[in-house]
Amino acid sequence: MEPIGIFILAVICQVYSCAANVSDSVERMQYASVAGEEYLQEDKLETNLDDKVYFDFDKSTLDATDKNLLEQYLPVIKKAKIVRLEGHCDERGTREYNLALGERRALEVRDFLVVKGVSGKKIRVVSFGEEKPLKSASNEKAWAENRRVEISLY
Amino acid sequence: MIRFLSLLFFVVSNSIFSILEIEILKGSDNLSKVAFVPFGIESGIEENYGNQISKNIEKNMLLFGEFENLAVNEMLSYPSSENDFYYRDWKVLGVDYSVIGKVNSVNSLGNLNISYSLFNINRRIKILEGEIVGSEDNIEGISKIISNRIYEEITGLRGIFDTKLAYVINSDADTYQMCISDIDGKNEEILFTSKAPIMSPDWSPDRKKIAYVSFENGLAEIFIQDLKSGKRDSIQALGMTNSAPVWSPDGKSLALVVSFSGNPDIFSYSIKNKRLIRLTNHYGIDTEPSWSPDSKKIIFTSDRSGSPQLYEINTKSKRKKRLTRDGNYNARGRYFPDGKSIFFVHGNDGNFQIATKKLSSRYIETLTSTSLDESPTISPNGNIIIYATKDGSNGYLGGITLDGKSRFSLPVKNGSVREPSWSPLLN
Repeated sequence: MEPIGIFILAVICQVYSCAANVSDSVERMQYASVAGEEYLQEDKLETNLDDKVYFDFDKSTLDATDKNLLEQYLPVIKKAKIVRLEGHCDERGTREYNLALGERRALEVRDFLVVKGVSGKKIRVVSFGEEKPLKSASNEKAWAENRRVEISLY
Repeated sequence: MIRFLSLLFFVVSNSIFSILEIEILKGSDNLSKVAFVPFGIESGIEENYGNQISKNIEKNMLLFGEFENLAVNEMLSYPSSENDFYYRDWKVLGVDYSVIGKVNSVNSLGNLNISYSLFNINRRIKILEGEIVGSEDNIEGISKIISNRIYEEITGLRGIFDTKLAYVINSDADTYQMCISDIDGKNEEILFTSKAPIMSPDWSPDRKKIAYVSFENGLAEIFIQDLKSGKRDSIQALGMTNSAPVWSPDGKSLALVVSFSGNPDIFSYSIKNKRLIRLTNHYGIDTEPSWSPDSKKIIFTSDRSGSPQLYEINTKSKRKKRLTRDGNYNARGRYFPDGKSIFFVHGNDGNFQIATKKLSSRYIETLTSTSLDESPTISPNGNIIIYATKDGSNGYLGGITLDGKSRFSLPVKNGSVREPSWSPLLN
């Protein structure tokens, strides 16, 4: 009988102390939800195009595949009000440097579009550095997927 | 029944207290053995105080693997004053230092009067004697002060047992928390919780505020949070990204990075009159500034040479000097408290490790052998570096002492912990 009693009480205590931790922090914490610019409230424009271009480590240059994809975006962009470019990095290296590198990647894409005739006023550039990876593993495959600029149209 | 109660206690204490817990991986190369003798008590005083104080001091001193202890049940005597202290009792057990003390009195306000002494067994002399008065509700705080004094006497370095650590916890995909705790992980407080990423915390020199980067408004934005009131002030988002805030030694300015129209540069921001002074103006990436302790220079990362390297700018003359040439990735530089060396992230063959370099030498010393190390922070006495690293898919904090190279880790129970920032000393 006693072993079962111990087990049940242990489970109850684990649950209680986890809950106590959470409710304590809810009272004291400052809570923020993600706001953002107004256009984000609208729905994205659907395209059947891939929504990412990819980069080599510590680089922000666009290769032929990237440029090809971006060219395909040009007609669709004409119908969009906003083009959002979100720059990202893989986890290697330092976070603040990666924040700047992500921005540089997004700007590379922006500059390409502007040269091709897209109005700069339509384009929004944001960098999340390494803070929002798609894949959390620490290998070449995951890193390659994380080094990206995400394109969304509104 | 006792088994039942002790299991209950074990379960409860493990879950409620500290989320970060230091685990020693490897002790110092040069461990001294210290005996922490249970403090005596004047008759009529609750016995527990004496035990609590010596246990706390022992726990503090062992925290970073710099010392080993003599178990209480191996001690040959339990002196609480110099009159009862015999060096041979300790010499025979290989002890290098002994700490003894006594709780002398408690007054009607609940204040304890405590005396303590430290003996160097090898030299056969008493090297420290002290007295402290503190509230019986603050045994932990009293013990930290005594621990600091003992540590200082033995090592010659300032004790850091009453300092704090700030860090970011990413408990699941959509939850980020800005947290602070005592340096041993106790008394954790969650300052701010967000669904968007948080980065780059930095303590103000008076320990009353923390600056950090939050993406809550959809972009990198710098906030200053007052620890007492919880009030958060945004340094109004000025550029595409606004980040890397670092307090000046006089607490009146922040060095930070703003990217106006896509070019991140270093600025100094005066907190009182909200003025930005430009420090760099280069089309490359300039980021990660940090002040020298004498305020005369700011170290920063720049890729102006083609890859990230460390540079230093003189805050008066604005002249810049390159600091690193070894390898093709040197970033996130910080000065040691004595201003004579720097520590930073050094990329080497795809591995990112923490390294140090004397400013007067060109040689880099690598401190860590893991491969995804970042965000190093240093104790105010310049002897311990804590940094962020990764194991599988979870981030945890690692640490190393510089004099004895002891290694420890601070994992968190759920999710990832990163971006540590060591508080200044309480002055």
